[in-house]
Amino acid sequence: MSSPSLTLPSPAPAAARRRRLLEILGALAIAGTYIYLVLNQPADITGGPGSASALIALSGFLVGAILLIVAVLPTLPASTLVLIPVALVLNIVLGQFVGSTLVPFYLDAIGTVLIAVLAGPAAGAATGALSSIVWSFFNPTVLPFAAGAALIGCLAGLAARYGLFRRFYLAPVAGFATGIIGGVVSAPVAAFVFGGTSGVATGAIVSAFRSMGDTLLAAITKQALISDPMDKAIVFTVVAVLVYALPRRTRLQFPFVRRHRVLAGTTNEPAAAQGSTQTS
Amino acid sequence: MPYSAEPVMAAGIREFTFHDGGGPVLQGLDVAVAPGSLMAVLGTSGSGKTTLGRLLAGWLPPGPGGNLIGFLELTGTRLQFNGDAGDPRIDPAQWGRQVGFVPQDAGAVLSTVRATVAEELAFGLENSAVGRTAMVAAVEQTAGLLGLRNLLGRHPARLSGGQLRRLAIGCAIITRPPVLIMDEPFASLDAAGARELGDLVRGLVKAGTAVVILSQMVDGVLREADNWIVLADGTVKASGTPAALEAGSPAVLAGIRRIKDGPSPGGVAPVPRSAGHSAPALELRGVSFGYRKDGRPARQGFTWQRRQGSRTTDNQSTVLQGIDLAVHPGEIVAVTGPNGAGKSTLLRHFNGLLRPTTGTVLVQGEDISGKPVGSTAAAVGLLFQHPREQLFERTALREVRFGLDRLFGQDEAGERASAALAAVGLSAAAHEQPAELPASRQRLLALATVLARKPAVLALDEPTVALDGDGLAVLDAAVRSAAAEGAAVVLVTHDLGYARSAAHRTIALDAGRLAEA
Amino acid sequence: MRLHPLTSLAFAGSTAVITTAAASWPVSLAVGAGALGLSAAGGTARRLVPAAAAVLVPLGLSLLIVHGLSFPEGRTVLAQFGPARVTAEGLAFAGERAAQLSAAVLALLVFSFSVNVPDLVAALASRGVHGRFGFVLASTLTLLPAITAQAGRIRQAQESRGLVIRRGLLHKVAAFRLQAIPLVLSLVEDAGTRAAALEARGFSSPGPRTSYREVPDSAIQRLLRMLLLAAAAAAVVWRLWLAGTGG
Repeated sequence: MSSPSLTLPSPAPAAARRRRLLEILGALAIAGTYIYLVLNQPADITGGPGSASALIALSGFLVGAILLIVAVLPTLPASTLVLIPVALVLNIVLGQFVGSTLVPFYLDAIGTVLIAVLAGPAAGAATGALSSIVWSFFNPTVLPFAAGAALIGCLAGLAARYGLFRRFYLAPVAGFATGIIGGVVSAPVAAFVFGGTSGVATGAIVSAFRSMGDTLLAAITKQALISDPMDKAIVFTVVAVLVYALPRRTRLQFPFVRRHRVLAGTTNEPAAAQGSTQTS
Repeated sequence: MPYSAEPVMAAGIREFTFHDGGGPVLQGLDVAVAPGSLMAVLGTSGSGKTTLGRLLAGWLPPGPGGNLIGFLELTGTRLQFNGDAGDPRIDPAQWGRQVGFVPQDAGAVLSTVRATVAEELAFGLENSAVGRTAMVAAVEQTAGLLGLRNLLGRHPARLSGGQLRRLAIGCAIITRPPVLIMDEPFASLDAAGARELGDLVRGLVKAGTAVVILSQMVDGVLREADNWIVLADGTVKASGTPAALEAGSPAVLAGIRRIKDGPSPGGVAPVPRSAGHSAPALELRGVSFGYRKDGRPARQGFTWQRRQGSRTTDNQSTVLQGIDLAVHPGEIVAVTGPNGAGKSTLLRHFNGLLRPTTGTVLVQGEDISGKPVGSTAAAVGLLFQHPREQLFERTALREVRFGLDRLFGQDEAGERASAALAAVGLSAAAHEQPAELPASRQRLLALATVLARKPAVLALDEPTVALDGDGLAVLDAAVRSAAAEGAAVVLVTHDLGYARSAAHRTIALDAGRLAEA
Repeated sequence: MRLHPLTSLAFAGSTAVITTAAASWPVSLAVGAGALGLSAAGGTARRLVPAAAAVLVPLGLSLLIVHGLSFPEGRTVLAQFGPARVTAEGLAFAGERAAQLSAAVLALLVFSFSVNVPDLVAALASRGVHGRFGFVLASTLTLLPAITAQAGRIRQAQESRGLVIRRGLLHKVAAFRLQAIPLVLSLVEDAGTRAAALEARGFSSPGPRTSYREVPDSAIQRLLRMLLLAAAAAAVVWRLWLAGTGG
């Protein structure tokens, strides 16, 4: 048997460029779909169940989310990849625990935000999108929200990268802002794919706005702006508590945390850049 | 001489540090492993054994895993590391074909994406595109070697601890690497399991595999090793043949448990002070228990369920039958039995985590059937097998102090916490993060959290697992002094030698029934 | 004959897409009934119905509240209390949308509850994006019960240390912290070990793979999958073309 090399070659730049292109295409698909739907929305809703808008929302957002996954997933190191299933389960298990105590919120993104803080925006975006896709195995209605979930993961990663998790009080602020953006972007899915919301309480709020004469999209967007920012502020706070409870060695094993000095009290180590592939 | 042949694996570690800004974890350490030899790396908890093992196995690749200055050599290739960006990057897959590694927590090696033991074994072969016929033959052969042949169709999540360890070894050796490294393979194995593993190791060495075992205790097959290396504080304290080291200065092997010597420093079991005269602190009357047959598919378990021990639910429905047990204040009782006899199930009845199907449990004369676990906990201190599931605070002191304020008030809580930390020899570690302590000290810290409450009943589940020699001595002293102060102590252990030396009374649990041993 | 998992996925997916594109309540009802019938024939109805109800009942109620009570575009007012106006158009809209969503959800759930997950993972090639997606899916399904059980064990350990979860938000938040921290900590550490083990077993290697598990497939099924995907695409294009021409 010939003995193959025990070491890895340096990564090829061409593959990285192709993946960057896919990421951009994915983001464009999501942004384009959103803009199209916002501009064209009044034409459809009264003409019966607007299946054209539903299909555009569904396919545009889904294609965008899938392009992001295709771009990001192969580049993640195994140490991040194995955390994704853990994050998906935490989204469910922790969300359920908190959800049963703090009733009005869904808190279904704790795992996603945790990964984003430890491994960066790209990993966070992939985790968010995968969370919706895998979870749709049991609840197909979450599938169209994949793009919104990816956005939450990406924004959480960016917040971590620019130091918003270094001070404890900034985490809920970042969460609040993320919730505003996430809520606005997800509203067209609720409006055009479902024609409403997935819960009774949120449905009542939408109904109230509608009876004041709002369009469906406007009513759902307003409803999202009531619940999402608080929800994400809580999620970001919970994640901040969790990451600061991790032992130093455990949290510093993540190159993203080391390189961008994500957490307070962790030293910036320039040598750490070696060996890790592009994480952001 | 073990060094007559060219070493199959070698390392010269000037210094290895993690990326946590701490000091070196390993330094000034040279190792060479000859083909077809058995080497034992001995050391107490926290001596750097696991780090060394992972480094040699490519599980902690220099660069992403930490900073290495020195060299690693494997099957004739030597890689030099200077701790900078120009260092070679280890290909873990190619490295893994030459060195198999079995970590202490065998369950963590499972891929979690394969539905049967056979597929789990084949995972490594699939990834190197071995043809299906060759794959089936290799699975069959490895399964035969490890006694897994009749488990090939079972889901890996439904294996017992011993079976899981054998599967993890199988996953490591199925590609027939010339080197196999195992981290604490004997911990938590009962006598029969340890014997089987010893035979397996002998067979592998005979077939030409170099086997390296990292251990904090000397057991059976390790006495036959060609070479021992004793680690302390990340560096080699001594090395040589077992005979030479055992004959040499006892200070060299201090802190390393040697099973045949008997682990208890006192040697002879103490005499109970007042057993039999006072009312029992803990009494079980006719307790029977069976796990509910759970036919629900695994994927529906979305809730925080009370169900536990799902590995045992399938084949056993009745675990305990008509258990009668009385433990008096000041008495130390050991319950022994092989892995899977229901010892942990019995223990969980003491504070109501599990409720008996029939029969009653009395603590200090009171039936606990209606009381929540959290309030029974004031009288019954229970220490589980996995201490990290019990620890959550930022420092060891806060950990021990947790909940004491409410029970005893500020001042006394502080005193009790410090006293309990001192009793387990962790006063110096009071301000360290519990999760960063070595395994042995985590166990002792968990013990301290229980001792600080001075419970009437102290129940310990497999207390010797993961404890090094020093830790065991501390445990022994702590248990005795708790008993001397009037606690009723129950030790549940598979370690018969420890049970006999530490307890006044030893009871065997077999097939769900108790018998005086 | 056992269907290849990707064939059943193509069936379920194209049914959901075509039903959405058709946007006609008779089609929706027929598809929903068909899905329930298939599930009953396959013996999965007992698990599928509660799962579907958990999703669809709140969704349906929400639609009813949103459109039943306020549909400003509606003309035929059936009842009015204060600002709330029940209109025939609103009720019809809610009903149609509910039927359409139910059909899509049921079609997809029939797939999830009947598919053999190990077969599906083996069918997704074990390399590249497919392989990694298969890993995430299978690993999540394996870890879900394991982590749930671990969370239960941690709670037991905490209760044994005297933790009593009392009423009140603050106590619950404190209890959550005590239980979540050891859980997340050990999960992150285990994941680190698992990553190293996977790497050592060649998980990230480039190059071809083989599969120990054999999943039977046939040329007919491959053709069928292509046809189903083409049909779904055609339905989408047809609907968008109709919308584009003002239909």
